Amino acid sequence: MTKILKATYMENCIGCELCVLETQRQLKKVGLEGAPIRIFRKRKEKSEYLEFGIEIDPRISSLDIEKVKNICPRAVFELVEDNGETSGFNS
Amino acid sequence: MDLTAKKVLEINLTDQTAVAKTYKEFNKYIGGVGLGLKLMESHFDKEPIVLSVGPFNGFFPYASKTSIVLNNDGVIEDIYIGGNLSLRIKYAGLDAIVIYGKSEQEVILDIQNTNVVFKDGITDILSLGLPGKRGDIFLEDGIRTKVSLNGYFTTPEDYFEHELRAKKLKGIVITGTEIAKPVNFDKYQQLYKSILIRKEDVSVLEASYPSCANCPMGCGKSKVGEIGGNVLLHSLVACQYADKIYSDLGIVFSCLNVLGYDYTHEDIELLPSLIEESLKRLA
Repeated sequence: MTKILKATYMENCIGCELCVLETQRQLKKVGLEGAPIRIFRKRKEKSEYLEFGIEIDPRISSLDIEKVKNICPRAVFELVEDNGETSGFNS
Repeated sequence: MDLTAKKVLEINLTDQTAVAKTYKEFNKYIGGVGLGLKLMESHFDKEPIVLSVGPFNGFFPYASKTSIVLNNDGVIEDIYIGGNLSLRIKYAGLDAIVIYGKSEQEVILDIQNTNVVFKDGITDILSLGLPGKRGDIFLEDGIRTKVSLNGYFTTPEDYFEHELRAKKLKGIVITGTEIAKPVNFDKYQQLYKSILIRKEDVSVLEASYPSCANCPMGCGKSKVGEIGGNVLLHSLVACQYADKIYSDLGIVFSCLNVLGYDYTHEDIELLPSLIEESLKRLA
């Protein structure tokens, strides 16, 4: 069965965007435009700290998602079996 | 991306106009503080704030800082802030942003590449810019008014805050949508990865704080930026804690070369004296 990239441990994300830049390098470009992963920042309620949201475009499956998973310094991602439920953004 | 010139977005707060200019003659200042000081010198009478990035921002790990040069009551200060701002400026296709003049009412700048929209100071800053491609700086009121970058990072001292208040500049949102393609992409990728794995050469502990973009460390030091320091690092603009990596001229030239810059050893050796001359003229 096909594996998909899932941001299982999103709460561990530190917003470094290494995953975003890795996907772009695999697409032979540097920048944020058209990236299959987007990181969003917002401040935690009543806290000085940030929390991050991650959106993954399903088209990321055409890339080497193992490399994307492995570049994350906080082990946010997992490769999971695609059970066919994923459509649109996977976050 | 023109590697033979510096692209500068010049924003006049007084008449709410903006223009992007290209300066070939400033290329020898490399970027960051070198370029920032030169732009401070060339725009000195306008009392500017100069935000600038270097050739490595957006391209290599541990090069995540934005240089800010400003005139603090007659003393030229250089400070460096983290977060994702340097990548947004670079991906906007810019080397620097010069902000001068003074707004009549509080204003927020909504910048997308070279396009600037002047928004009322009460605008919700989080509503501006493009999701996933934006960065923001805003003055956050509290016991002590501080700049907040991405809602977390801030500045050492209060120089930047003082200047923003004086100009009635409440915030800046920057969205970068340009794409770069280093000519020798495979070599670029190899070099990127060889630098990224050098975590042990970065003199901070890896942690789980919000991290600067393109840095895996999540360290506790980046929250409050840097002030002064090594002019080569801060022209590139690398983090001071990555000085073991980016003080190595072999690495510096490999990075410059793979991106397509044609700086020579002489250009790099000359940089400190160019900066010193700028500082003397500014003194």
